[in-house]
Formats: sequence, structure tokens, C-alpha cells
Amino acid sequence: MSENGYAFYFDSTACTGCKTCQIACKDKHDLAVGVNWRRVYEVSGGDWVLDEGGYRNSVFGYYMSLACNHCANPICLEVCPTKAISKRDDGIVLIDQNACIGCRYCEWACPYGAPQFQDDIGRMSKCTLCYDYIDEGKSPACVAACPSRALDFGPLDEMEAKYGETSELHRVAEIYPLPDPSLTEPSLIVKPHRNAVNAANQPARVANTEEV
Amino acid sequence: MNVHDWALVIFTILAQMSVGSFVALGIVYSYANRKAGPNEADLMCDLALWPIGGILILGMLASLLHLGNPLNAYRAVFNIGSSWLSMEIASGVLFAAFGALFTLMQWRKIGSFAMRNVVAWIAALIGLWLVYSMSQVYMLRTVPTWDVWTTPVTFFTTTLLLGVLAIGTVFAANYTLLQRRNSAHTDVQAGLLRNTLRGVSVAAVLLLGIEFVIIPMHYAVLAAGSPVTVAAVSNLMSESGLLLGLRLALVFIGAGFLAVFGYRYTFRPGHEGSLGVLVYVAFALVLVAEVLGRVLFYASYANIGL
Repeated sequence: MSENGYAFYFDSTACTGCKTCQIACKDKHDLAVGVNWRRVYEVSGGDWVLDEGGYRNSVFGYYMSLACNHCANPICLEVCPTKAISKRDDGIVLIDQNACIGCRYCEWACPYGAPQFQDDIGRMSKCTLCYDYIDEGKSPACVAACPSRALDFGPLDEMEAKYGETSELHRVAEIYPLPDPSLTEPSLIVKPHRNAVNAANQPARVANTEEV
Repeated sequence: MNVHDWALVIFTILAQMSVGSFVALGIVYSYANRKAGPNEADLMCDLALWPIGGILILGMLASLLHLGNPLNAYRAVFNIGSSWLSMEIASGVLFAAFGALFTLMQWRKIGSFAMRNVVAWIAALIGLWLVYSMSQVYMLRTVPTWDVWTTPVTFFTTTLLLGVLAIGTVFAANYTLLQRRNSAHTDVQAGLLRNTLRGVSVAAVLLLGIEFVIIPMHYAVLAAGSPVTVAAVSNLMSESGLLLGLRLALVFIGAGFLAVFGYRYTFRPGHEGSLGVLVYVAFALVLVAEVLGRVLFYASYANIGL
């Protein structure tokens, strides 16, 4: 299903961390403070390194913009006790708030932080891939808003064809802080930042935990 | 820790205590029945069914506090077969139903002895399945700090440990009640109580011993795992190391206390009062230790991704 289902493409080399995607999403879906269907993670790492008798630094940083990856094997759907989470034929994973009991089990399980608890109504919500916009032939709000064109979306096979070799990377390599894709088979294609290699080989962290 | 997690601490601890007590009650009943006949066994055990049911209901009510939208709670069983959370709730409800049926039959002496026995066995097996389901809820492939073999082992140890001590406490209270009523059965009951509490002490000391091994092993397994679990352990040690130390100390004190005094008093008739105090104190110590352990369990949550 996911081969034909929709996928997000994210170019980490183009992202400047401006968070316009996050704000466009909040605006479109009228999300409350603390509820972020799209989140921009700031990854940083590095230290002083002793090099031929002198110290140089190896600091690095890059951004990772994530919403819901509408996984082919979504663990949220698998563990939801009420069947409130479903997957449409086009691959979009949706939460039916009328059925949700707000147990937050999907929030625990999801390795991308996609399901968000809405305090005001005591239920979960998450990225809908702006299916209403898609039905109108428009792009999701985040994709349309990105000033550096770091985001794209479309059927997974088309995205893979369009972005060529970069698509290999989300399949074979773990890009910090993304988990092993075999866990949930995310419909996500990431063009990794050159420093993603550094993050895999030395301590890296998400620096803006209070924002995501 | 937030309010939601506390609701889960209370739910899991009380439900496990209820299952453990029910199983322990069954074992004690068959012992008392063989030793002194069904009348004395009933006199000793029947009252215990009420607190076992009470804590289960209390636990299930507490679990509702965990929900953002409790009015939809009945939907929680809709995804049985895929979600262990559905299985947990379904088996919890079934355990409550069969437990209630058995209590009613035992209380009103409905049905033959064999028939009641079958209902009790069914309830006990569903109860143990409930504890297994509870542990599987946390065995998420994306949560490496919970997805370890020590999780189910710890849940079952807690179940049996709190079960034997809670049921011992109830027996001691039941005996005091019989004494107050100047029951003609106090001599036989005193003998049964002493022997039962000796069994309770031995079982509790053994289980506390297992726990004393399992707790460090759990952290050792995590410390030898992926960077996620390693970081989680080091966070836990720096933020809650004191609580962990306190928990281990309480386990140790509880075990030592039971081993020394349990042995001394259970062989001497006439010390049932002191025995009662002993089992109350041991139960209180171990209950605090288990609650601390569960709090630390929830605090150890770490996702493999974000």
C-alpha cells in the first residue's frame, strides 16, 4: 500500500530551521500551544578534539523537520485500543477523535513523536497530511510554506523516482535522531545533511527539546 | 511523573495485588480445607474475597483517571487481537466478572464445591493472563527501556509478593475479628493462621530474594543495551538514584524482618497478636517498595526515536 501511498520528502541540506512549516501547519489546523503536528528538531553535537598537539572543534548541527510519516506499518494503529486510528487507501493515517479515549498509548509507541495530546478535549490528534488540500489538488500547508523548498510530498514511488539516490538513505541508514525504519516502515524520504554521518559516529542530541 | 502516570501506578499495583491475593487465597483455602475441613476454611477465607474485589475495582477506577476522555472507556476493548491494551482491559473485566461470580457463589454457597472450585480456577487463570497482558502492554518494540524480559518477570514477582503479603494481612485481621466475636473456632483458627503466616513469610522472603536479584539485573540489561537505554539508565540514576536505593533498602528490610520474626512467632502459640503486627508492617514496607518500583518503571520510559 505504501508504495502507492503518500510520502513526505525532506531535504535536510536545504532546511534552515526557520520553522515556517511548523507555523503554517499550526495556522492551517488552528493548533493550540504545545500541539505541534509538524516539529523541527535541531540536532547538534561535537566537542573539542586534540589534533596534532592543538585543539580544534568538531561541532556540527542540522535540522530535521518531521510530521507524521504515515507509516506502512504504523505502530500507533497497531496498539490503539479503540481502533480510533485507521489508514486510508491512499496511505494517510488518521485519528478519529470521536473514538479516541485519550489513553496516550500511541504517543508512547510512536518513534517520531507524531501523535499529540490535546489537553482541551482530552484526545489525540496528529498530522492529516492536509488531505482536504490534497483533494483540492493543493499541497499540504507545510510543503507549500517552506521558503527553501526543503519539503515535498507525493506518492512514495514518485518521490523515490524524483529524488533518486537520496531515497536509498532513508531505507538503509539511520539518520539521527530517526529510529531504524524497519520498525514502522515510514513513508518518508530524507536527503541527509552531510553532518548526519557525524551524528551517527559521535554523541549528538536534539538541542531544542523544549520546542518539540 | 504526572497525574496520568500515577493513575497507572495505582491501577497496575492494585490489579496485580488483587490477582496475587486471589491466587494465594486459593492455595491457602485448599490447605485449610485439607487440614481442618471446609467450615474452618470458609471461616478463614470467605471474608478475604471482599477486599480482593475492592482493590480491583479501585484500581480499575484509577485507570479511568489516566484517560483524557473517560466517557469513551468502553471502546478500550475494540482492538483485541492487535493491541495488548485492549487485551489487558478485557482480561481485567473478565477477571472481575469471574471473581465476582465466585464470591457470590461462595458467599451464598451456590453450586457444589467442585463447581465453585472450577469457577475459582477460571478466575485465577484469567487473573494470571491479566498480569501477562499488563506486562505485554509495555513490551513495545519502540520503547527499549520497557521491552526487556525483566518487565514480565518483575510484574509477576510484584503480583505474587503483594498477593501473599496482602492475603496474610487479611488473615491476621480476620483472626482479630473472630477473637473479638469470641468465636468458638479461635484455637483451630490460630493454628491455621500461624501455619499460613509461616508459609507467607517463606514465600515472601523467597520472592523478595528474587526481586533483590532482578532489580539490579534489570538495570544491568539496560546498561548493556543501545545508546537509548544506556542514556535512560544514567538519567534515572542521577535523578532517582535515591528512590532506587530506598526501594532496595525496603525490600531488604522487609525480607529480613519477615525472616527473623516470622520464624520466631509462627512456631509459638499465643503470639498471634504480634504476628498480626509483623505481617501488617511487612506488607506496608513492601507495598511502599513496590509503588516506588513502579514509579521508577514509568520514569524509565525512553523511546527509540523521538
